[in-house]
Amino acid sequence: MKIIHRFTESSASNVGQGGMPEHSTQKADLEAPILEAVHLRKVFPLRGLRLFGPPRGVQAVEDVSLALRPGCSTALVGESGSGKTTVARLLAQLYPRTAGELLFRGQPLTGKSSRALRQYRRYVQLIFQDPFASLNPMHTIYYHLSRPLRIYGHAHSAAEEERQVTALLERVNLTPARQFLRQFPHQLSGGQRQRVAIARALAARPAVLLADEPVSMLDVSIRLEVLNLLLRLKAEDRLALLYITHDIASARYFADETLVMYAGQMVEGGPSEAVTQAPRHPYTQLLLLAAPNPARLGMAEQRPDSPLLETRGEPPSLVNPPGGCRFHPRCPFAMPVCRTQVPPRTELGNGHWTRCYLYGESSKPTCSNVARSAQSKES
Amino acid sequence: METETVLEVKHVSVDYASASGAVHAVDDVSFSLARGQIFGLAGESGSGKSTLAYAIARLLRPPAIVTQGQVLYYPRPGAAGKNGKNTPAPVDVLRLRPEELRAFRWRTLSIVFQSAMNALNPVLTIGAQITDVLRAHEPAMPRKAQQERAAELLRLVGISADRLQSYPHELSGGMRQRAIIAIALALNPEIIIMDEPTTALDVVVQREILAEIMALRERLGFSVIFITHDLSLLLEITDQIAIMYAGRIVETATQQQLYRQPRHPYTYGLLHSFPTLHGPRRSMTGIPGSPPNLRVLPSGCAFHPRCSLRFGACQAVIPTLLTPTSTAQNQQVACHLYDASLHPPHLPGELGNTQIEQIDNQELALQRESGNENHTSLY
Repeated sequence: MKIIHRFTESSASNVGQGGMPEHSTQKADLEAPILEAVHLRKVFPLRGLRLFGPPRGVQAVEDVSLALRPGCSTALVGESGSGKTTVARLLAQLYPRTAGELLFRGQPLTGKSSRALRQYRRYVQLIFQDPFASLNPMHTIYYHLSRPLRIYGHAHSAAEEERQVTALLERVNLTPARQFLRQFPHQLSGGQRQRVAIARALAARPAVLLADEPVSMLDVSIRLEVLNLLLRLKAEDRLALLYITHDIASARYFADETLVMYAGQMVEGGPSEAVTQAPRHPYTQLLLLAAPNPARLGMAEQRPDSPLLETRGEPPSLVNPPGGCRFHPRCPFAMPVCRTQVPPRTELGNGHWTRCYLYGESSKPTCSNVARSAQSKES
Repeated sequence: METETVLEVKHVSVDYASASGAVHAVDDVSFSLARGQIFGLAGESGSGKSTLAYAIARLLRPPAIVTQGQVLYYPRPGAAGKNGKNTPAPVDVLRLRPEELRAFRWRTLSIVFQSAMNALNPVLTIGAQITDVLRAHEPAMPRKAQQERAAELLRLVGISADRLQSYPHELSGGMRQRAIIAIALALNPEIIIMDEPTTALDVVVQREILAEIMALRERLGFSVIFITHDLSLLLEITDQIAIMYAGRIVETATQQQLYRQPRHPYTYGLLHSFPTLHGPRRSMTGIPGSPPNLRVLPSGCAFHPRCSLRFGACQAVIPTLLTPTSTAQNQQVACHLYDASLHPPHLPGELGNTQIEQIDNQELALQRESGNENHTSLY
């Protein structure tokens, strides 16, 4: 226990330095969540006839709970296949959920009619990863932005519609707006297209914005501007923002709260600075060790020695996932209990939590048995 | 590190012929690669980095044409030349005859392509694709020896030899990329061009592959031209880095110089465009605007419309690479700010002040210490 704490405490001294604004989640009083997911589960059924045994499926998301609050950004971090996009699509009700509940403004969502869904999407909008695919090449920018205005009844006349479309373009810094109105998506650069996609989401005047890897397809030098744009819009409209990314470093800067997913399970969460600077779950630690670090010049001589970096292997198949904690086959600290039971949520203080038996009250691992299990794994 | 040059690129330009005139994708690029060195080539999409690599390997097809320049390969001095001399004359790769080129490719210079998924043939086993190289280049080699060499190569990159009979779709993304590296190593080349070898992979797998490449280079002593858009990654693994913008090299330096003392405003912007995980949170400035359209390049320095430090000369004259100070010998920058004859405005502290460099060094040393402590304490 102590050893892993030391890893975290020495680097935790960096928290809050550098003159960046303190995160809002660090305040004691939190606003009521606007959108909440409770024990969300999603299994994609597999086709094919099976005479014996239960039907198989891809267990993409297993017991995920999260809360999005107005004016707060939450990052969902994970590798490809970890289920982070599935979570976003479940939240947007693009996929029906297998189990679990969605609460919008405290009310459980039950309606499945298209009217109920449209009403829901008036408040919850999604931004997709690829701006080259999410805009229709056959339609002008004006068409893309005016449609949500019409569908949700925000514009009542043609003049008003045009005025609002222009205002939307200006909000996402596409100026002079008039120049863009009649253009087609192919005439814009990647960054401009993603701004149009953001403007389209804003047109509905949502309360929740789900951004699924909004900058991973963009060039490095323009990513930051798009991220800062999202942050500004979040602050202006007090949007609840879910930022899905595979880049945990950007979560540190961009999100108040960070949640880490592995193979469909949520393994750790809390204030971004705590999760990135004092990671507790071995998977989060592995993710952070593996991230490129320019301060570590010359990898050959200064490669960190950690049993975590020796962990070979890749995320498991979700058709037949390992029991218990899904990280246990790769975890150098795995104990017998990890193989059989899903670890409960352990609160670490200040809203930081993890699902790992290394920190559980029940098992109380000591330094020696962590070291032993690491050894037995190696041998 | 040996300082002997193995490859020298001299004033290479590549044009893409198009209906609206030639597009200069690579414009007068020169650099040299030392034996055993890892040379990083960084730039955004459209900066010409991949085109340059393909030009070196002579893989460009019309409409791309190499309009000028030389790519000189210096054979190993130990190996006696044709006329028995100890130091054979350099060979211009761009002027090799087809049969010489066939011998040069793969035996001397091999390429690892970006997408392992597309670079491997889906209907041939991994083993067949490795022995294909051996059959083509060493027809005299007995079939059994070829099989053994293929198995040896797979073991070299960390795949068990029984995977020889596997098809690409049976391997994970990381293993496919390893297999590609194994094929590139088949004839023990002196130079390997790696074009975004880890871009499509998750960070943990990326880290494994990079560690593998570094270890193999230690053992086999090849040189690498490493192309990526991820500057933070380059800073960590390379010896020398060249930053490309709109077809030209704007700055070249050792990775330490580049990280501690970037000279070109574009490099400075890039370094402040990606979030960092370690150390205090820095404020990120980013770069306004977006990369230029190569068809209509801005006059003078192509970066000037996005540059906050531009002055009169920037719009008129294309800057050439020059050494900014007498102390930084390996660092060259193409920026008028460092050309005293043009009377540039005063440099802001970040780009010119050496005191900042010292502070950075101290900070770095501190970080490194605390970093080491963190990692050892994981045991």
